[in-house]
Amino acid sequence: MTHRSAATTVGLSAQGLGLQRGGTTILADITLSLPATGSVALIGPNGAGKSTLLRALAGLLVPDHGTVRLGDRPVAALPTAERAATIGFLPQHFAPHWDLRVVDLVRLGVERGGTASPDAAATDSVAAVLAAHGLGPLAQRRWSALSGGERARVLLAMVLAVDPPVLIADEPGASLDVRHRIGVVDGLARRGRDRLCIVAMHDLDLAFRAFDRVVLLAGGRLAAAGTAADLFHDRRLDRAFGVDFMRLETPHGRLLQAVARPDDADIGSGRN
Amino acid sequence: MNAARPWPVLAAALSAMLILAVAAGHDWAGPADLLRAATGHDDLRSRLLIDWRLPRVLAAACVGALLGLGGAVFQGVFRNPLAEPYLLGSAGGAALGASVALLVPLGLPQAPLLAMLAFLGAWGATFVVMAIARLAGTVDAAGLLLAGVAVAAVLGALRSFLMLALSDDTVNLQVVLSWSLGGVQTPRWPALAGLMLATLVGLAATLPLARGLDLLGLGDTMAAGFGQDVRGFVDRAVLVGAAVVALAVAFGGLVAFVGLAAPHVARWLVGPLHRALLPAAALVGAILVTAADALARSALPPAEIPLGLVTAVAGGPFFIVLLARQLRP
Repeated sequence: MTHRSAATTVGLSAQGLGLQRGGTTILADITLSLPATGSVALIGPNGAGKSTLLRALAGLLVPDHGTVRLGDRPVAALPTAERAATIGFLPQHFAPHWDLRVVDLVRLGVERGGTASPDAAATDSVAAVLAAHGLGPLAQRRWSALSGGERARVLLAMVLAVDPPVLIADEPGASLDVRHRIGVVDGLARRGRDRLCIVAMHDLDLAFRAFDRVVLLAGGRLAAAGTAADLFHDRRLDRAFGVDFMRLETPHGRLLQAVARPDDADIGSGRN
Repeated sequence: MNAARPWPVLAAALSAMLILAVAAGHDWAGPADLLRAATGHDDLRSRLLIDWRLPRVLAAACVGALLGLGGAVFQGVFRNPLAEPYLLGSAGGAALGASVALLVPLGLPQAPLLAMLAFLGAWGATFVVMAIARLAGTVDAAGLLLAGVAVAAVLGALRSFLMLALSDDTVNLQVVLSWSLGGVQTPRWPALAGLMLATLVGLAATLPLARGLDLLGLGDTMAAGFGQDVRGFVDRAVLVGAAVVALAVAFGGLVAFVGLAAPHVARWLVGPLHRALLPAAALVGAILVTAADALARSALPPAEIPLGLVTAVAGGPFFIVLLARQLRP
């Protein structure tokens, strides 16, 4: 990893983001500034707008209001090839339509959209990416022949192939068992040491344990943002999720135990 | 899954099929006849083979190559192995355009007009199917196919109406009808040269789409994340695909299922990456249509079976198997 000085690295910021779809407000007036390096967990209840916010931050979706900036440049104004090389986006679901080999998938990640590199150079970088992610033995395997954990690693290798300074991930490893999920998420959080890594997730304990900063979204609005240590004790967390949290400090980190409120007792019972 | 040496196999298969097709007919030519014709003997039989059968066989191969290419492009764009020019309405659109050119007295030279209207029809129909799918928010197999079937039905009705309303003594209805059943006419050498050139241009125009089609196969989100302008690319690819299909329809009429089957066979042989898939689909398409055309000429002498009927009878079951496999949960 090359060293990056603070002056040349870029942070990601959002100014007054708003988005409506079919009369429903998905995002409203989100202003957020993220440093050039660091790991950020994006949390919030279902339908809070996490995925939409991530897509807007990644430049994959143009908001109705507001701007996303990478450093001092609007993301929307970046040439697509540059945007693709700078901001990596790890989608929640990935299912390629054709049964490609691992080496082909990684190659698509290496070359990105516009950059058609000479064959030899591309082959070298593909081999390097495969080796870096421990996928060498799987290179010739087809997608359909991979296990869930292997697929997650291939997807990660594709997105990280160009080592983007910013990585945005939407519930990575959501479909994996706990061991693989923690492996993926911890790896992403570690990228925050010299990159910016923004991860939406449902596992609050993992969010508060592994990430520097936490951003809380509720009803399309920014409910709270701060360091993981500060936000852990914030009562807005309870309000956003509609539960009461018991906060446990353990030798291995902070734990949140959710307790349903008495008036919510009907949610699971099927009665209204 | 992949043959070790797919390209030599494909080239050999195409060569063998071309030779077999030249020999085939209600009057089969033997190896001695073929050898005499190939070495420039000037007897009646040799002239028949060289000036009559050979151009037809080569034209059939070109039409097949274009259909295979068009099918591969459309399957790539719609990310659906069931997408096919004939089923998605683009072939029907091309047929409507061509029927207008053949039947409506517009007072323009017919050959360029037919190609132009066939292209507009193919492009317009595909665009409508795509718009319906986008509007319904569905690009799954069933939704897309139903939209295609609906559009194809409307276009077929319009074409039938044109044929009924405008056929009179000055227009040979028989020509239009047999053309819409699919069939390669024996071209004169200049026309054949034009078709072969057009086929090469079609291949050259689709090959630059290969990387984009690969990216598109990752899904919209990944493709956009990897820097693809998804919507712009899809529109461009559909334009190229429609042009290729229009060429095939202009020269070969409505030939069903080749655009479906050729990319499938090609995928078995060379894998799903489009840089290899596109030329392989063209070769397989050429082999399939050459074979079907030879069969159409020689199965029921002295009559000739319309080419579209042969491919439909052979391709229909193939499609049903694919459909069953895809719709099974």
